[in-house]
Amino acid sequence: MADTQKNYFDPKVLAGIANLSLRARWVVEGLMSGVHKSRAKGFSVEFEEHREYSPGDEIRRIDWKALGKFDRYYIKEYEDETNLRAYLLLDASASMNYASDGITKFDYACTLTASLAYLILKQQDAAGVVTFSNRIESFVPPRAKRDYLTQILHALENRGPGGETNVGKILEDIAGQIKRRGLIVLVSDLLDEPAEILKGLRHFRFKGNDVIVFHLLDPAELSLPFDGNILFEDLEALNLRVITDPRVIRTTYQQVVNEFIADMRKQCHDNAIDYQMISTSTPLDQALASYLSWRG
Amino acid sequence: MSLFFLYPAFLVGLLAASLPIVIHLLNRRRLQRIQFPAVRFILLSQKRISRSYRLRHWLLLALRTLAVVFLVLLLANPIFQTGAGLFAGGGPVSLVVLLDNSLSMTWSGDGNGFKQAKEAARLLISALNDGDRAALLPTNVAGKEVIRLKSQKDVLSRELDAVEIADGTANLTATLEKAYELLSEPAGQKEIRLITDMGLTGWDRFSIAALKRVDPSIPVKLIRVGRKEQPLNASIEEIRLGSQGVGVNIPLQIEATLGNFGAQEVKDVLVQLSIDGQNKEQKLATVPPKGQVTVSFQTRVSQAGAHTGQVSLKKDGLAGNPVADFTLDAQDKLRVLVVDGDPQTALVQSESFFLSRALNPSGERDSSLFLPAVIVPDALNAAALDSYQVVILCNVAALPDGFVANLQNFVRQGGGLLIFSGDKIQPDSYNQKLAQVAPAELREKKTGPEASGEKIDKLDAAHPALQIFSDPILLESLKSSRVWGYTRASARGRPLISLANGDPLLLEQKVGAGKAILIATTADRDWTDLPLKTAYLPLLQSLTHYLAGGKRGQLDPGIAVDTAKEIALPPGLVGKSLRVAKPNKLDVEVPIAGEKDRAVATITDNDRAGIYRLSLPAGASKESGAPQMYAVNRPFLESRLEEISEAELQAKLAPVRAEVIPIEALKEGGKRTDLAFPLLALLIVTLLAEGWLGQRF
Repeated sequence: MADTQKNYFDPKVLAGIANLSLRARWVVEGLMSGVHKSRAKGFSVEFEEHREYSPGDEIRRIDWKALGKFDRYYIKEYEDETNLRAYLLLDASASMNYASDGITKFDYACTLTASLAYLILKQQDAAGVVTFSNRIESFVPPRAKRDYLTQILHALENRGPGGETNVGKILEDIAGQIKRRGLIVLVSDLLDEPAEILKGLRHFRFKGNDVIVFHLLDPAELSLPFDGNILFEDLEALNLRVITDPRVIRTTYQQVVNEFIADMRKQCHDNAIDYQMISTSTPLDQALASYLSWRG
Repeated sequence: MSLFFLYPAFLVGLLAASLPIVIHLLNRRRLQRIQFPAVRFILLSQKRISRSYRLRHWLLLALRTLAVVFLVLLLANPIFQTGAGLFAGGGPVSLVVLLDNSLSMTWSGDGNGFKQAKEAARLLISALNDGDRAALLPTNVAGKEVIRLKSQKDVLSRELDAVEIADGTANLTATLEKAYELLSEPAGQKEIRLITDMGLTGWDRFSIAALKRVDPSIPVKLIRVGRKEQPLNASIEEIRLGSQGVGVNIPLQIEATLGNFGAQEVKDVLVQLSIDGQNKEQKLATVPPKGQVTVSFQTRVSQAGAHTGQVSLKKDGLAGNPVADFTLDAQDKLRVLVVDGDPQTALVQSESFFLSRALNPSGERDSSLFLPAVIVPDALNAAALDSYQVVILCNVAALPDGFVANLQNFVRQGGGLLIFSGDKIQPDSYNQKLAQVAPAELREKKTGPEASGEKIDKLDAAHPALQIFSDPILLESLKSSRVWGYTRASARGRPLISLANGDPLLLEQKVGAGKAILIATTADRDWTDLPLKTAYLPLLQSLTHYLAGGKRGQLDPGIAVDTAKEIALPPGLVGKSLRVAKPNKLDVEVPIAGEKDRAVATITDNDRAGIYRLSLPAGASKESGAPQMYAVNRPFLESRLEEISEAELQAKLAPVRAEVIPIEALKEGGKRTDLAFPLLALLIVTLLAEGWLGQRF
C-alpha cells in the first residue's frame, strides 16, 4: 500500500500521465489522504455563477429555481472568501526544458504548480499563476473558485518553455502588479544572476508577501554525470558553448553548483524567504510537504 | 663523445611515439554535443581548474609519448661513448683503422703528424680485447696485399711499422669502401677510425656515391692530426720549356712556376735546377701569399738523348712539395744540305741567304738545332747525303744524273727533301728525273710585278709541320706575304698551302720512309716577300724538322703519382713486356698490348715520385721513338694544407655519420656506457607517473 502511495509522487510515473489536471489531482489526493484539513478554511458568502450539475455535487446546492426556469439542474457557485491569495510564478524559460532522464524541469514545475494550485483551491484559498521567461507569458489572477483550476491548468498547458530567463526583472514587474499581499511561490531553476533574483524576491517581501522558492534542478545539473569530450551548448544563450571533459571538472562543478545553492539558501533565509531546492528526481510530496509545512 | 645503437633497426618504432598525440587528436574530433542549461557553471568550473588541468593534460600526453620513445630506444639499445677510445664496454669489436699516409701528412702536426698518427693507431690496436678483431688500412696502399680483420695485435703492430708516407693523395673512396667491405662480416660492434690531417685535396676527390658498399649504421670517427700554426706553404706547380726544342749544346730555357697556398709571403726561397744530378743554376724567389711566381733558368745539355732534371726549393720550415722531376730528350743537331742554285758573290743576294739564316740565325755552330751546309750544284756529285737528314734544293736548274739516284735513295730511306722553285729551275728536267720523289709535276713559271702578287690564302693547319700557325701572329704574318712569281704545279701529293687564286704553293709527298716537299716559289726575295716575314723562320725550321723525321728535343714534365702512363711502341712489340725500374729500385714488368695499329704499354704502378726508367724488350730498335724514362711527381695540390671543415665533411659522408675527434682526446681514452638500464628505469618511472596522473583525471 505504501509503495502504491509513493508512486503518486514519483516524477517518472507522473511523466507518464499526460493530463496535467489528472496529474495534480493524483498528487494532491495521494498526499492529502494522510493530511489533516487546513486551518484556513474558506466559506461561501457571495453568489458568483451557475454551473451545470454533475454527479457528485452536493444535492443541497442545486438551484431549484433555475430548474424551474430551464428544466436543467444548476448548481449555485459562490465566490469563496479567503485570507490567502497565492501567486504561483512559473519559470518557462528554455533552460527549464531540460531532462536528463524522464521528466523535464518544466513538466516537473508544471505538475508542482498545478498540484499547489489544486491544493490551494481545494482549501478554498485563491490561487493564480504567472508564467514567464524574460517577459510575462501569461497571467492568471488569483481566484478562490473551485473550478478555477481549469483556467490555471489551461495557462500552464498552453505554454511550452522557451526564451531566456530574466528572473530578477520579471519578479519586479510582477511585484508591481500585485496589489494585495499574499503568498508568492516561485518555481524556477534560478539560472540567472543570484543578486538580481534576490532583488526581485525582496520586492515581494517588502510588500509583505510570504515567499516560497522552489529551486528546481535536474540531477544531471547537480552531478554532471557525462563522460568523454563533450561540446556543451547552453539552452538559452546560443553562443554560450564549451568543450570539456566532464570527468576532469566534475568535482569542481559540483562544488560550484553546491556553492550556488548554499548561497541562494542563505540569501533566502536572510530575507525570510522559504527556499527549497528540489531535484527533478525528487518525489513531489517533498515539495508539497514544504508548502504544507508553511501552511502549518 | 657519441651515441650509437646496437640494434638501430628498432628506431623505426619511434614513429609510434606519435600515437598518443594521434589518439588525442582523434578524441578531440569525436565530440559529443549536449544541450545543457547550466553551461555557466561548467565555464566557472573550467576557469577554476583550467591551469592545473591543462598542465596535467599535457604532462600526461608527454608521459605517454615518452613511454613509447623510451621503449623504442630500449629495444634499439643505445650505447654512449665518451672520448675516442674504444672498448670500455659492450661485446666483441670489429675495428678498421684507416691511416692517412698521403703526402700532406708530412707537414701535419707541426712536422711530426704522421708519427702521432701512427702512435694513435698503435693505441687503438693495443686497446683490443680478446675476441676483438682489427684491420689496418693505409689510405695510400702500394701493394695489392689482401687485408683482413685479424686479432693478433703483434701482426697489426708490424703492419703499422711498415706504413710509410706515400707520395700521392689519399684515396679515401677506395679505402672507405674496403673498410665497409671488411665490416660486412657479422660482428657485435663495428667501428671505423680514420686518423687524418683532413687535407682538403683528398676529400675533394671523395664522393660517397662512388662507394660500392656503405653501411650508414657504422659511423666514421675521424681522429684529427691538426696543426698549431700555418707554416710557409710553397710548392712547385709546373715545369715547362721556355725555348723551342731541346738540342745538344743549344741554349735551353726551363721555367718553373712556384705556387704559394699559404697566407704568408714566402721570401727568398732558393730554387735550384739540376740536370742529370748536377746543379746547373740556382735563384732566389719570393712567392706572394696565395700567388704564383715563375723562375726561369738558362742551361744547355752537351749530349743527345734522355736526361733527367729536377727543380727543388730549399728553405727552412717550408711545407709543401719541394721537388719536381722532369725528363729531357735532347736532340742532336740536324744536319741540312742546302744547294744554292743561284749563288752570288754578295751573300745577301744568294738564293740560300735567307734560308741558311733561318736555320741558324746567329750563324754560330752551337746556337741552333740546325747545322746547315751550303753547296753549289756543281758539288752535288761529291756530296755524301748519308751525313745529312734533309736536303734543300734552292732554285737548282737541273740535277746531275749521278746525284738523282742518290737523292731518290736518300729520300726512300727516310731523308727529307725540300725543293724551292726559282727562275733557273728547268721544269722538264725535274719532271723527268724526279718524277718518283717530287710532290708535283712542274709546269710553266708565272711571274708578275711585285705589287700584283698573290696572297697566301689556305693552309692545312692540322699538318704537323704547320701547327705552328695555331699562333695567330704567325698566321697573320704568313697571310700578309705576297707571291708574285711561282711555278705552277700539278699536284701528285696533297697541297698544304695554296695561293688566293687557288694555285698550290706548298705540296708534300711521302716516298718510302722519307718525305718530299715542294715550295713553288723562291727561298729568297726574288719571287716573294715571305723571307722578310716573321713567319719565315718558324716555317722553315718546322718544315725542316718535319722532313728530318719530326723528332724534336723536348721536355717532359712527367705525370702525377698514381696516374697511368701510356707508352706508344712499334706494333711488332705486341705480346712482349716492358720493364720499368721504379725510383725505389723495384722493377715491374708491364705487358705490351695491341691497340689499333700500334702497341701500347700502360704503366699504372706509379705510386712513388721520381724517375721511372724503361727497358725495351730485346729486339726493339732504339729508334722506336719510345722514351727511355719518365718522371712521376707528387701531386701539386697535395701541398695545399687547407683542411676540410667538419660541416663539409659531414655533408660529404652523409648518410654515414661523421664525428671529428682531436688526436689528443684519444690519449684520454674513453668510456662506453650501455644505456639500456637507465632507459628501463626511466620507462618504469614514466609508466608509474602516467598511471598516477591518469587516475587523477
